[in-house]
Amino acid sequence: MTQGLFDAFYLPPDLEREAETSVQRFGPAHDAIELRLATVTPAVIESWIASLGNARAERLARRPAAEIHRALERVAQRFLDPEGPARRNAVAWLARSGRFSIPMIERALDDTFGPLAAGGVSRWVASEIGSAAALDWPTPDRKGIPRQAFGPEWMLQIYAGNVPGLPVWPLYSALAMKSAVLAKTSSQEPLLAPLLARTIAEEDPDLGACIAVAWWKGGTDELDRAAIRLAPAVLAFGGDNAIASIAREAHPEAKVVLHGSKVSVAYIAGDSLKRRALADIAARAAHDVALYDQQGCLSPHAFYVERGGDVSPAAFASALGGALEALRDGLPRREPELEEAARIQLYRAQAQFEEAGEVRGTRVLASSEGTDWTLIYEDGARFEPTPAYRTVRVHAVGGVNEVAAAIAPAVGAIEAIGLEARGREKAVLAAEFAAMGVPRISALGALQQPALSGTHGGVHRLLPFLKWSTVELRTRTRPPAKTRRRSTKKRK
Amino acid sequence: MKSGDPGLASVRLMLEADLLGMIRGAGWDVDAAKDAFADLALRAFRFQCDAIPSYGAYARHVGRDPAAVRDWREIPPVPASAFKSHDLSAAPLDDQAVIFETSGTTISRPGRVRLRSTHLYEASLRRGFPRHVLPDGARLHAVVFGPTRAEAPRSSLWFMVDHLVEEFCAGGSWIVERGEPRWERADEALARAVRDKGPVLLLGTTLLFQAYLARCDREGLRYRLPPGSRAMDTGGAKGTRVEVRRDEIVAALTRVLGIPSTHLVNEYGMAELGSQFYEDGLLAAHEERPARAGFAIPPWVRTRVLDPETMHELPDGEPGLLVHHDLANLEIPLAIQTEDVGACEQDRLLLEGRLPEAEVRGCSLPFEQFLERERVGKAGKGER
Repeated sequence: MTQGLFDAFYLPPDLEREAETSVQRFGPAHDAIELRLATVTPAVIESWIASLGNARAERLARRPAAEIHRALERVAQRFLDPEGPARRNAVAWLARSGRFSIPMIERALDDTFGPLAAGGVSRWVASEIGSAAALDWPTPDRKGIPRQAFGPEWMLQIYAGNVPGLPVWPLYSALAMKSAVLAKTSSQEPLLAPLLARTIAEEDPDLGACIAVAWWKGGTDELDRAAIRLAPAVLAFGGDNAIASIAREAHPEAKVVLHGSKVSVAYIAGDSLKRRALADIAARAAHDVALYDQQGCLSPHAFYVERGGDVSPAAFASALGGALEALRDGLPRREPELEEAARIQLYRAQAQFEEAGEVRGTRVLASSEGTDWTLIYEDGARFEPTPAYRTVRVHAVGGVNEVAAAIAPAVGAIEAIGLEARGREKAVLAAEFAAMGVPRISALGALQQPALSGTHGGVHRLLPFLKWSTVELRTRTRPPAKTRRRSTKKRK
Repeated sequence: MKSGDPGLASVRLMLEADLLGMIRGAGWDVDAAKDAFADLALRAFRFQCDAIPSYGAYARHVGRDPAAVRDWREIPPVPASAFKSHDLSAAPLDDQAVIFETSGTTISRPGRVRLRSTHLYEASLRRGFPRHVLPDGARLHAVVFGPTRAEAPRSSLWFMVDHLVEEFCAGGSWIVERGEPRWERADEALARAVRDKGPVLLLGTTLLFQAYLARCDREGLRYRLPPGSRAMDTGGAKGTRVEVRRDEIVAALTRVLGIPSTHLVNEYGMAELGSQFYEDGLLAAHEERPARAGFAIPPWVRTRVLDPETMHELPDGEPGLLVHHDLANLEIPLAIQTEDVGACEQDRLLLEGRLPEAEVRGCSLPFEQFLERERVGKAGKGER
């Protein structure tokens, strides 16, 4: 299945016929795969954009949103079906690209597509805009005022490659609000977005006509600019420099949402650290760390553990170490690159240096061999991202105020906090972290399963891109003729 | 401070004398210096464990008690980042000749290298630099793409360059003033060299060379520097994400300044090491033989290449993480664990770039990004 060339782009049939392509090797030299890439020039980008705009007007803009959402849900189901070709193809190719282990890829596909299947897209849309019908015609909101939401004509989406499922909800969000989409993949992971686009096109050619997915070298100014300056909406994931340059180049009226680099942390209240709960808490904590080799913005880098529970923070650290050791086989990590492993070793050696000097009670726990996991325990809170690949810090703390002081200077770099607490304290702590400006507070063990109805980087997924028409005429609005005809069929 | 101990002070003086003798007298054949290296490394290690308490504690903590270590390979390297968290110097606080700040590697504070004596540093420089950059014994006017030492007193790089100009050059012109490159000064110095037919030596960071060459390209400036002109650049391979392709720099140097590719020597060094490593091209041209790849490892330095998963030493030619054992380090630990990656082939060091294929990965990769934010302010300042 993974022999030969992979088409690392997707274009609607008309555009694909005209496209020039070239083949490039991708991945480690000894085990590279060959990718067929569409040749991209500023003129090509402009022609794609024109074509996407036409397709959207003809084939997407007037379709009932609910029908689109159902098609997208069927696509999600195809990626969940373990025997289905979409799923098997995705697992095989993502495994070939060598970025993640197969169990990790399976997990990523389940976690990514699960919430989008079986009514998931409809629920997500409803959570943000009330009802899917509001994308079709002016539909009364909660106060009875009819209003209609319009997605942008097209969106430019720029993906990062750090976690395998990253392109999925962005691509869905565009189509769900009837927007065409031009997506630029990441050189780290150029595979899933074209696979997804192709499956959408198979399921629903009208939707497929409104998608273009390609890769071009990041920082290629003329290409980036050609796309960015024309885009009425931009959703981009990237590093500081990339994000800053997109912000500079975007059209002043464009709706722009940029997600820069973030990490997550966790907080464990003393009262929740019961002896009988320890193994479970440690297993959930380890799961959050291990998933996606700690490459995601939802990956925790530090655990702040309150003193004074049944179980000491140091005992929690030992339990977490044990749980990480168990995941070496349970959820294997991909072998890090030389440079990455070298960085982990340097980080370990530094912690051992502090351990030797009895600085802040530092203790270093590490995998029995290799760099598979590293845990650094110390007294007192501080915030310092680790080199990842399952490298975490556990800090014994006196309480939430100590953590607040430690993370305050870097709170802009924190995407989420995994919280373990009991009873009323849970809500109190959640409110404290919300007040600090942490965008998402989740249960420990569920850090990597964000709700679609929640936010990413503190902003919703659809709302920032929508324009609204409100009808303040004190009159009942009616569906336009085409949609009305469909809906009247069901009337008795 | 323990290093104020008169017994240790005399040990240090004796060791320094012996190390100076080794560095000054060592032939360039690594094997010949093998026994002397092993003996001096162990003596220096024992001194360092006594004189630098935090290092001694570390050595014992990782099971390398100085009294028990018999092989120099067992000398535990300090992580380069420890210079940021700890004072790793045997020099008394009230008696230090220089402080170098490191941009180092991991943690955000700058690290410090404090030395009471720069004799070993200078001895190492005096052996390595003329051999690889001035093998013909030329005494040239230096054009420094960087600041004077007075302007960058904490930089080991500009300390080194200052020293080189004073000792090996016929005067120098400095291009960077108050943190700003003054390209017109380079223009003047190079125009003068062309006019007077006096070859020059360009010294500086790869990034500043690159910036100047790009500016000359933009403005259509071209110089035909007299034969014998040459350049030594440092950095470029590591520490910045601005990918500098070696062949592009070499081509630009030839195109813009008329310096042939044999006459650009890349230097690899770091504030935590008293010694530097040089490319072979110019020496090879002088000796009329083909150049050998990589950097020359001086005979008073050993570079170990370790598998970063097992920390076991790798065979020649296989890439891994680099640990340097440098006998020019006496007042700071001689064994340094870096996050640099490369391979060794006999006495050659083949550096690998930092994640050459990687683009910004976005969304996460916080560690690199945090480092990047740190580095943005430092580009061209020559901190290392």
